[in-house]
Amino acid sequence: MLLARVEGNVVATRKHPSLEGWRLVICQPINLTGAPEGVPQVAIDAHGAGMHEQVIISSDGSAARQAVGDEKSPVRWMIIGIVDEPSSLS
Amino acid sequence: MRLGTVIGRVTLSRAVPALTGARWLIVSPFTREHFQRGTQTPPGLSKDSSVVIYDNLGGGVGQTIGFIEGREAAMPFDQPTPIDALNAALVDEIYYNPFSH
Repeated sequence: MLLARVEGNVVATRKHPSLEGWRLVICQPINLTGAPEGVPQVAIDAHGAGMHEQVIISSDGSAARQAVGDEKSPVRWMIIGIVDEPSSLS
Repeated sequence: MRLGTVIGRVTLSRAVPALTGARWLIVSPFTREHFQRGTQTPPGLSKDSSVVIYDNLGGGVGQTIGFIEGREAAMPFDQPTPIDALNAALVDEIYYNPFSH
């Protein structure tokens, strides 16, 4: 799991059918001070995370497959929660 | 899923049975800098090494795609398939708004 900040989203018409209807959110992993760390990942989002909100993303493919309801989905990264108190991190 | 630019294609003359007839793309993955530059300007090669991606969506050179890395890439296949990167989306549009400290 990584702490990340939402920095945008992606629109794709042609995609794996299991991703149909899901928000694809660009998540930039960040460190404790909020500085970017590593490469952005695109995650599926069921929680409606807003722009620049801090989130936790998980690479648990099994849980993501369960979330999209397709055991043959290649989906991997998923937003599993929205960070409550970003101020406590700085 | 990561994003990347398709910079080439590969064809195989011999392959394991599970992969005969497959379509392969060479993709240069986006780094944070690529996102900041957007899709308008040609993104150029990234510092990260390029990867070969299994493609069944029909990606072409110059396109931006979303690809899945790791074990999950082989999940859509019925039989065990030795791939670890899969084209999962042809990207139409990227909305990116970097957070400034």
